Amino acid sequence: MRARVMAQVYRQYWRVNVLTTLEYRENFLLWFAFTFVYHGTAIAALAIVLHQFPAMNGWDFRDMAFLYAMWMMSHALHNTFFSAVGDIPEHVREGEFDRFLIRPLDPLFQAITTPGQIFPDELMLALATFIAATIYSGVTVNLLFVVFVPLIWIGGALIDLGFNLGISTVAFWFIRVDTLRWIVLQLEQEFTRYPISIYTRGVRLLLAFVFPFAFMNYFPAAYFLHKTNLGLNVPPAIGLLTPVIGIVFASAAYLFWRFGLNKYQGVGH
Amino acid sequence: MVRVFLLRTVWTALYAHNAAPANLPLHAIITYSTVALLMGLVLDIDQTRLLHDKLHDGSIATDFMKPINVPLYFFSDGTGEVLFHATLIVPSLILALVLVHLDVPDPGALAVFFVSFLLGYLVGLCLNFILNCTAFWTLEISAVQLIVTWVTDLLGGQLVPLVFFPAALQPVLAFLPFAAMFSTPLLIYVGRIPPSGWAAALGVQFAWFVILAAVSIVMWRAGARRVVVQGG
Repeated sequence: MRARVMAQVYRQYWRVNVLTTLEYRENFLLWFAFTFVYHGTAIAALAIVLHQFPAMNGWDFRDMAFLYAMWMMSHALHNTFFSAVGDIPEHVREGEFDRFLIRPLDPLFQAITTPGQIFPDELMLALATFIAATIYSGVTVNLLFVVFVPLIWIGGALIDLGFNLGISTVAFWFIRVDTLRWIVLQLEQEFTRYPISIYTRGVRLLLAFVFPFAFMNYFPAAYFLHKTNLGLNVPPAIGLLTPVIGIVFASAAYLFWRFGLNKYQGVGH
Repeated sequence: MVRVFLLRTVWTALYAHNAAPANLPLHAIITYSTVALLMGLVLDIDQTRLLHDKLHDGSIATDFMKPINVPLYFFSDGTGEVLFHATLIVPSLILALVLVHLDVPDPGALAVFFVSFLLGYLVGLCLNFILNCTAFWTLEISAVQLIVTWVTDLLGGQLVPLVFFPAALQPVLAFLPFAAMFSTPLLIYVGRIPPSGWAAALGVQFAWFVILAAVSIVMWRAGARRVVVQGG
């Protein structure tokens, strides 16, 4: 019963999203152009640099394009389905969150299904980029690739969700978390763009086991590209663990969210 | 600050396994990117955002009734904000000098760098003002503005020095207003533009400033008239 209601709500949520997008067509096109330019400049910058310097720790532009596409796909998947989690601090500040609490559905579910102007445009762009990068990088596409890559995307999206939810939960105490979110996003961009073997050992360990950005793209990409020197003493197959890491990380964030929810006392509206 | 370190790591990794290209040695490129980052803290501010906001909520109408020069009011508001941000950069700058061992050019080049930076800032100011003026017609410009910021960062040489771009593109890029914002002051700073080239480089920047300032004035007049027609 509860599941059926949730499925209905979810369907309505996407209906409203699509209708909103159709209503504000020009604005949608402009934001799509922005997404395009955003990823375009990033890839162009990589191309220019690696045109001058043939390789970075054994990774050439073909490898880096695949690395980027891997991250882009997970990130787009997260943005498409969970970006509304990032609006929770605003709901808290405006007092709208209190309304979520007295409704009969799970507050997190309500937050995820707050309609906006979400459309799977970034996801399509990411998919196209990923296919292009896969062909360009010459990765062997076998059964293992076909089975694991989608799971890795989902795992990567869950890692992103873990960060997003964790930061949003901090808003229960601090109300405003825009700066924190901006910093984490900046770091995510930097840390997922290059092979982590360029960083010092401490940073590598941090990226692998504390803030698992390395599982979003570095480890999986290194596995499929047959890189042997990972920069850490781990077997290459660790890249296939991304789905597990994603579930663990998102679950940890969820526990933190439940904890924050229990402490939450409103902001005094 | 963290980003300064990341920049250094990335460029160090690139230089470690490859021959230094385009006669920009490692310490020069680190200096270049660090100064670029610090410049970005000032240049990426949208100084004339207030205009856009006021068009959005309509309060621009009452500003027109006040006995003030409205564009100048926006500029002074923006300048105040920029100066505030500039003071925030000072501690980062000192840290960067100490930790990353930035190259410091001789006083002459440093002085020309600041003149060039100021011109670059003015070019950026006009570009932003023109963008915000388009809000007279379209009201919503956030996406366009972000696009312009990213394009500026790339084509202006903030992300990657323009000398690394394909040779065919370089002459074109050098004459775009984006290069006038970032690349020119930076190349003066790291000494890639020799003293004999200073006058020409500053001339191009100044030319862009004059052109964009003229466009700003035209846009502003046209926009202001439109508000009057609508009755505010």
